[in-house]
Amino acid sequence: MRTRRVILTFALVTTVSTACGQGLLGGGSKEEEKGPILVGMDIPLSGDSAEIGPYMRNGAQLAVDEINGKGGVLGRKLQLRVEDDACDPRTAVAAANKLVSAGVKVSVSGYCSGATLPTLPIFDRARIPMIIPVANSAELPAQKLRHVFLINGTGDQQAAAAFRWLAKEGAKKVAVMHDNTSYSKDIAVRTATELDRSGAPDKSVLEAVTPKESDYSAAVTSVLKGNPDYIYWTGYYAEGGLLIRQFKQAGYKGRFLVGDGSVATKLAEIAGGKNAEGVYATMTPTPETLQGAESWKAAYKQKFNADPGPYSTQAYDGVRLAAEAVRKAGSTDGGKIVTALETMEGFTLFSGPLKFTPQHTITGGFEIQVVKDGRFVLKEKI
Amino acid sequence: MSQLVWNGLFVGSFYALVALGYSMVYGVIKLLNFAHGDLYMLGAFSGFAMLGALGGLVRSQSLLALLLVLVATMLVTGLAGMALERVAYRPLRGAPRLSLLITAVGASFALEYGTRAAAGADPRVYQVRLGGTTLHVLGARVTVQQLVLVAIAVALMVALHRLVTSSRQGRAMRAIALDPVAARLMGIDVDAVIARTFFLGSALAGAAGVMAGGYYGKIDFLMGFIIGLKAFTAAVIGGIGNIPGTMLGGLLLGLLESFGTDLLGGEWRDVFAFGCLILFLTVRPTGLLGERVTERV
Repeated sequence: MRTRRVILTFALVTTVSTACGQGLLGGGSKEEEKGPILVGMDIPLSGDSAEIGPYMRNGAQLAVDEINGKGGVLGRKLQLRVEDDACDPRTAVAAANKLVSAGVKVSVSGYCSGATLPTLPIFDRARIPMIIPVANSAELPAQKLRHVFLINGTGDQQAAAAFRWLAKEGAKKVAVMHDNTSYSKDIAVRTATELDRSGAPDKSVLEAVTPKESDYSAAVTSVLKGNPDYIYWTGYYAEGGLLIRQFKQAGYKGRFLVGDGSVATKLAEIAGGKNAEGVYATMTPTPETLQGAESWKAAYKQKFNADPGPYSTQAYDGVRLAAEAVRKAGSTDGGKIVTALETMEGFTLFSGPLKFTPQHTITGGFEIQVVKDGRFVLKEKI
Repeated sequence: MSQLVWNGLFVGSFYALVALGYSMVYGVIKLLNFAHGDLYMLGAFSGFAMLGALGGLVRSQSLLALLLVLVATMLVTGLAGMALERVAYRPLRGAPRLSLLITAVGASFALEYGTRAAAGADPRVYQVRLGGTTLHVLGARVTVQQLVLVAIAVALMVALHRLVTSSRQGRAMRAIALDPVAARLMGIDVDAVIARTFFLGSALAGAAGVMAGGYYGKIDFLMGFIIGLKAFTAAVIGGIGNIPGTMLGGLLLGLLESFGTDLLGGEWRDVFAFGCLILFLTVRPTGLLGERVTERV
C-alpha cells in the first residue's frame, strides 16, 4: 500500500512537471495541429513478457497503416509511438511520461496489469484518453479515472464465464487454484465466491501454489482430498502445465479449466504427452479462434512476415477505436474524445459490438477454448 | 498420511542434494555461495543441450540416455563450479566476508542472465519425460521413476559422505575446515582442495538439475533461485557444514512443507515451514547436528 502511494506521488510529481514543461514550450501548437496525430503505446518489449510486445506493436501498426491508407483521421495521418514498459511499474511510469511529453493524443497501452496501474494517473492528468487493450485486473477500472477505458474482458467477467461453463458442464465439486499474484487470485476468489453462493457446482477447495517451483505434489495431494471432478487454474501456463501433469500422475480423472494466462502452446508441451488434451480455457478470442478473420490474418502475415499472436487483435482494435473516437469527436481534445468513447455504439471489435459500461469496461467477450492436438481451439462462445 | 510423508521425502531429497554443496563450501571456507542454486539451473540446461545432441538414443533408450547425461552433466557443472571458484572467489580469499558474499550474489546474477541471454527467457521442456508406472506402497502412490531418482540421490549422498569421512581427500577438507593456516603448514595444498570441494558440490547440484528436468520437465533460467533458498534453509536446519545434518535438514524441510500444505493450505505453507524453522533455531541455533564452534579470531 505504502509503495503504491509512493509510486502515485512520484507519478503525480513527474506528470505535473512534464505538464508545466509543455505549457512553457507549447508555443508551436499551431504547427502541431497539422502534423500527424501521435498514438502512444506502452507495452513490454523486454523483460518477462517480452514475447507479447511485438505481437501488439504489429497489430497496432497494421491498424495505423490501414487508417492512413484511407486518408487518416480529420485529414491528418496517424503515427504510432511505442515505448517499452518491460512489464515493470517503474519503467512503465518513465515510459508513460515519455509518451506524454512526446505529445501523444491517445494512448493504447497496457499488457501487464501491475505495470499499467501506475501509468493511469499520468495519462489521466494529462487529459490523454487511454484505451487499455489487454491488461484486465479489476484494480484498473476501480481507479475510476475519466480518461481510462478497458477493451479486454475483466477478472469478474472471466470468473462469470468460468462459472457459467462449470454449471453447463454439470460439474459437482470444483477445486479453484491460483498462484497468489493479484490477477490470478482475483479471478479465483471471484469464481470461488460464486461457487459458494449458488447451488449447483460446489467449491471443494480454494488452493494456492507458489509460482516458479517445480514440485506441486503437496498441493495436488491436498486438493485431491476433496475429490473434485473439475479443477479451475487461474494462473500462468508454466505452472499450469506442471499442475496438469502432476494431477494426472496422481490419478486425477476429472476435467480441467484454465484461465487466459495459461493459453499458450507451451502449456501442453510442459504437461507432456496427451496430458493436456481436452483441457478447457476461459479466453478472449485469439487470431487462431476468430472466425471470418482470414483476410485480416493474411494482411498481417504479408506485412510482417509472421503470424499474428495473442493480443495482436486487441492492439489492432485499440488503435481503430482510438481513431474512430477522434473522428467522432472532430478534434484531438481529450475531453471530447472521452465523450465520443462513452457514447460510442455499434462499433465492431473482434470481440463483438462495442458498448462501454459506466465503469468504462466492455461486457462479455469470453469464450471457451479447448486443447486439441496440443493447440487451443475454439469450443464455444459463452 | 503416508502420501504426505512420501511427497515430503521426495522433494526433500532434491533439497538435500542441492544443500550439500552449500554446506560443504560453507564448511570449508565459510562462504555462502549464493550462486549454488544457479549451478543446479546450469545442470538442467546442460542436460537439456546434451539430450538434444544425443537425439536418436534418447528416443530408444530414454532412461539410459538420461543416466549418461546425468554423469556428463555432473562433470560439466563440477568444472563450472571450479571455474567460478577460480575466477570469482579465489582472488578474494583474504578479503572481508562481506565482499565474498556480494561477489556470490553477483556470480548468481551473471549465471542467471548469462543463461537467459544464451537460451532465452522462455521456459524449455525436456525431451525425456519420466512418466512411470504407479505402485502403491503403504497407501502412498509411488512411481518407479521416483524410486530410481531417490535411489540415485541417496547413493550420491552416501558416496559423498564416505569420501569425506574416510579418504585422504576428505581428511584434507576437514583439516582445512578446522584451520586453513595450520593445514597449509602441514603441507596440504589448500587451493587445490577447495577447488575439489567446489567440484563435488557443484556436481551434486548439476545432478539434481538433470533429475528435476527429467522428472518435472520444465526448466527456465530462474529455476535455481527458489531451490537455492530452500537448500540454504535445509543446510541451516541440519547444521551448516555438517554433511549428515544437511541431508536430514533437506528431508525435514520437505516434510514440513508437505504437512504445512496439508494442514493450512498452500498459501500458508512457507509461513508454516519457516515459522517452524525460526522456532527450532531459537531452541537450537546450531541446527540438528551442527556443533558449536568457537569463533576464530
